[in-house]
Amino acid sequence: MDAVFSGLASGFATALQPFNLMLVLAGCFAGTLIGALPGIGPINGVAILLPIAYSLGFPAESAIILLAGIYYGAEYGGRISSILLNVPGDAGAVMTTLDGNPMARNGEAGKALSLSAIASFVGGTFAVVLMSLFGPLLASYAVTFSPSDYVALMVFAFASLASLVGANPVKTLLGAVIGLILASVGIDANTGVARYTFGIPDILAGIDFLVVVIGLFGMAELIHLVEQQARGQLKTLKIDKSFVTMADLARTKWTILRASMIGFFIGILPGTGASVASAVAYGSEKRACNNAPSFGKGDIRGLAAPEAANNAAAGGAMVPMLTLGIPGSGTTAILLGALLLFNVQPGPLMFEQRPEVAWGLIASMYIGNIALLVINLPLVGLFARMLTIPQQYLTPLIAVLAFVGVYSIVGNAHDLYMITLLGVFGWVMRKLGFSLAPVILGFVLGGLFENNLRRALSISGGDWTILVTSWNAIGLYVLTVAIIVVPLVYSRYRTRALAEGDADATTDAPRS
Amino acid sequence: MADRIFAGILFVVALGYTYIAFFILQAPFQYDPLGPESWPQILGVVALLCLAYILVRPDRDRFDLPLRTGGRLLALFVFLMGYGYLYQPLGFIISTFLFCLALSLMLGARPLAALAFSAATGVVGYVVCTVLLELNLPAGPIVRALS
Repeated sequence: MDAVFSGLASGFATALQPFNLMLVLAGCFAGTLIGALPGIGPINGVAILLPIAYSLGFPAESAIILLAGIYYGAEYGGRISSILLNVPGDAGAVMTTLDGNPMARNGEAGKALSLSAIASFVGGTFAVVLMSLFGPLLASYAVTFSPSDYVALMVFAFASLASLVGANPVKTLLGAVIGLILASVGIDANTGVARYTFGIPDILAGIDFLVVVIGLFGMAELIHLVEQQARGQLKTLKIDKSFVTMADLARTKWTILRASMIGFFIGILPGTGASVASAVAYGSEKRACNNAPSFGKGDIRGLAAPEAANNAAAGGAMVPMLTLGIPGSGTTAILLGALLLFNVQPGPLMFEQRPEVAWGLIASMYIGNIALLVINLPLVGLFARMLTIPQQYLTPLIAVLAFVGVYSIVGNAHDLYMITLLGVFGWVMRKLGFSLAPVILGFVLGGLFENNLRRALSISGGDWTILVTSWNAIGLYVLTVAIIVVPLVYSRYRTRALAEGDADATTDAPRS
Repeated sequence: MADRIFAGILFVVALGYTYIAFFILQAPFQYDPLGPESWPQILGVVALLCLAYILVRPDRDRFDLPLRTGGRLLALFVFLMGYGYLYQPLGFIISTFLFCLALSLMLGARPLAALAFSAATGVVGYVVCTVLLELNLPAGPIVRALS
């Protein structure tokens, strides 16, 4: 406990420095803006702004504070376009449209926005508190992990990814393998052998992380936006004078708490972020209310649950990223890559070696959540006006930002072609029902996975049974089997329930 | 069909990847049980298995892309490649102006508004990025003539 408080104190000392404080606020503001723009979610926002944040030359803790602010700020802002436009900014905000948009159509837009802001705040803060309590514990346990335990952890991460993300597990797995394959390009650090470089000097040191991120997320999103453009104009609902009341809060307080809990723990699972968390929270809330018919027609509980859950999941996804070095979602995979760019190795030792980064980030999230609540309640009208920015101007700006970001770091034109081509590739994958988060997760984890496997086998002298000898590893493999089997059994059970007429549509909601 | 074509292309690529892993990659000498080739071997085999599954049981039949939208996307691709091609020789301001103009006009902006928007993005973008944020951007003839 003492370690937590002294860590937090030093973290606040970092986060409250005027420059860092300004970055928290700037990140939250920019994040809310990005989240509010229809069609652009946290992952694209962080991807597009990462290279620019990197090339500004900030110290590591400042840059990561800024990027994290954009991340949970965007998670926060996503509700605005969900409620007013019925267009979710990303997969995590899909469930918010189910009850949020009907509320706005019933003339309760102001209430919906303010209630969801409070639910988001509670979810986000809940996650940060749990994170500061359990993060260091998990880290001090993870220090004892041997290379073979890390291999088991990685297997678990990819299994939960394949089992919980996306409609087709094989496609999710393939996405992760594509990421791992991309990561295997370059000189092998152990032997100095160049792999798959085909004599091209630019990729001897490996394919640039920023190029992959900007290409797969920024540019693919741009192509997707242009494709969607043909669908015609979006209509924004007006914000009215209604506001959340104490009675509403009293009615939703257990909903919000339950959903925060669900969101946090689903967020911790590697690879599964806000989208799964909000879908599960909405579904279980609906069941807890005995499938009240008001759900889907503007029930405040149906709005509060997914909003609390997706913000809690954003915090939860940071826990494995900071303590194990294994990201809990696509966006935290990008944050992890960002830390690596700054020569900070996320993982169990980060709390000891770079406390200013680990604790500074956690403390900044306390501040950021409060700042988000404060700027979101009065300024929601300003953000809502962003929804009416014509797409024909917004779309070119995304490309300009992406080009600026890549060029200012690598400084050659080849990578500009590279991001465009990767963008086309990512867009095709998306169109065929692949999700892109596994690719980036695989790309970020590739080196770690391979090195631990090789190290484990070096320790055992080539004996593969070392992978299953420690209790940590066995426990993780049991969890791996569970995470594959439980959803299968559950879905079979549900299909039977559906056949008996107990239709439950919510769990069929789109998953990213 | 769309799934099969995509998976088929990737299958060929993965086959090449796996071939290199098994027959070409080799360390001149090594002390560890796993050399540089082992990990790509594992990855290649897993990728081939996944792709084979998709080839046998594809779940996307059609690649839903109307001709008009396809044309627009092709134009976007040409714009992006052109933007990248002209980025260094023309400098940030002119290339950004041209790119924004072309794309916003294609997406239905009014000509005058598009002109103002593109010029503003080029000039303001350059000043903000290079002066305020101190980023490295190609200067191009305009800036060189002014300085």
